[in-house]
Amino acid sequence: MTRWRAVGDVLLRRVVELAILLFAISTLLFFLLRLSGDPAAVLAGEEADPETVALIAERYGLDRPLMVQYLQYLASTLLLDFGESLRGGLPAIWMVLDRLGSTLLLSFLALATTIAIAVPLGAWLGMRPDAAERKVVNGGVYIMQGIPGYIVGLILIQIFVVELRWLTSIGITSWTSWILPALTLASFLVPKMVRVLAANVSEALREDYIRTARACGATEREILWRHAVPNALLGATALIGTQFAFLMSGSLVTEWIFSWPGFGALLIESVDRLDFPVVQAAVFVIAFLVFAVNAVTDVAFRLIDPRLREQRS
Amino acid sequence: MTVGDAVPRQGLFLRRFRFWRSGGSGRWMLVAGLAVVLLLAIATVAALVAPPPGAFAGSLLERWKAPLEAGYLLGTDQLGRPLLARVLAGMPWSLGIALTAALISVGLGTLAGLAAAWAPGLTRRAILRLVDTVIAFPSLVIAVTVIAVLGRGFWPLALTLGLATWPIAARVVYAEAMSVARRDYVLAAQLAGVGSVTILITHVLPALRPTLLVMLAFTFADMLIAESALSFLGLGVPLTAPSWGNMLSESREYLVEAPWMMLVPAGAIVLAVVALNLVGDGVAAISRRRARDLA
Repeated sequence: MTRWRAVGDVLLRRVVELAILLFAISTLLFFLLRLSGDPAAVLAGEEADPETVALIAERYGLDRPLMVQYLQYLASTLLLDFGESLRGGLPAIWMVLDRLGSTLLLSFLALATTIAIAVPLGAWLGMRPDAAERKVVNGGVYIMQGIPGYIVGLILIQIFVVELRWLTSIGITSWTSWILPALTLASFLVPKMVRVLAANVSEALREDYIRTARACGATEREILWRHAVPNALLGATALIGTQFAFLMSGSLVTEWIFSWPGFGALLIESVDRLDFPVVQAAVFVIAFLVFAVNAVTDVAFRLIDPRLREQRS
Repeated sequence: MTVGDAVPRQGLFLRRFRFWRSGGSGRWMLVAGLAVVLLLAIATVAALVAPPPGAFAGSLLERWKAPLEAGYLLGTDQLGRPLLARVLAGMPWSLGIALTAALISVGLGTLAGLAAAWAPGLTRRAILRLVDTVIAFPSLVIAVTVIAVLGRGFWPLALTLGLATWPIAARVVYAEAMSVARRDYVLAAQLAGVGSVTILITHVLPALRPTLLVMLAFTFADMLIAESALSFLGLGVPLTAPSWGNMLSESREYLVEAPWMMLVPAGAIVLAVVALNLVGDGVAAISRRRARDLA
């Protein structure tokens, strides 16, 4: 199978998956909203008078038969028309796309932080996993894995904002306000990444090509950084692709803690206010983003690593 | 002579158990984790039977006492309620929801995984595709969205979390069931004319016990984190319930006055999660060792 043919197959499979997922989620939302009571009343809000409810019912076509509503709903969803936000009246999809930049910035910062921390630590741990001091660090990483990211965030705020007063914890005012959110979101991934890297490095060090390099007189440092780590990184970077969904869950919480103006915070606000058009638009954009990242990493690895191409035909 | 006589009676109590005699470091993890889990279970039942006094009513005169100050072991919150009582009162909420969600998640996942292993080609592919699709999506986003419609409370939360995470268990059970299905005794049963559903239940399922136990422990830990995250975001249990996530959420406003209001529930969550991870990793290590010894 040629390189590009394999890539085409992967992309096609991904697009089909994305279509199924988006269809399933919109269907689920549509029926859940109607099962839970009169959607016009929900959309209008708790304190709305009957006239407003009737007006909203007419505007959203909620007085028509259920199947007609469902088909109309699917059609407008297909055109990315989720309706207008119930607060402010802007098109929901605009409000979400407006926040796309800050969420992407935060994810990028978190990924960069994760790599900066996890690669050296993982390489160091994997080099000689049985050494006493490394076992202690390993134990620390194990406990870190049990600390949820939002607790890391709160502890960081406690130390750097409340006690030391070095940083601020709110918004996106200057680059110093990026530090704590990036560290918090990175803490969701770092322990997992360190463990995978350490395991991969210690496994790579037992391979034949390492023995060959050593026999040719390469120094331990060269062996680690030029041979073992690059091979270990391949597996660890694949982890980023599959863990991006997890990172999105994490950014929901992180954005909320630090009032970061991304769509995670927007989603939570909208759920809290029962602003369904925005909730739906946000879920759509997140789904699309997760699948785009998965597809890109999938394709990239199939281009880089011939072993992956052979794996699945 | 009974079986027990074959075991050396002197020395460690633990030597009586088969898992301990198999050796390895996994047994230490399992024992340490189980000890904490057992304590938490006892405390949860105690909190259900006799709700700790002071969890809901305090005196403003007693507010923001630091841990160990004025006889409060873990200090008090902004309304003068002792945090120890609140952490205990929160256990049925936090641990209860997490365990229920984990049971739903692993239960549904096992059903789906076994169904995929048993079903003919097309159904199998449909189930596996569904599993792959849902796994790739952020589960917290699904949970938040469903909760928007279902509302707050014990059951909506447990159901939502269970339904958002079952595909992980399904994938593991499917892979494991397929490998068990190739074993000789399953083949022998097939040749003897035993029906495929009977084989699944009497031969495949029992072989999956260690896997299911490991998954239950890990899922329990994940669900505890997810439940606290949702409560922390204000989308979890009712706001008056003293769940650990709600306590964390409240503590955010008083980080300057009373940092222990954050540290106490945070410590409880981390303790429970690490203990559950230890149980999961311990069981996994022991069953790997046993499989190696048998081979």
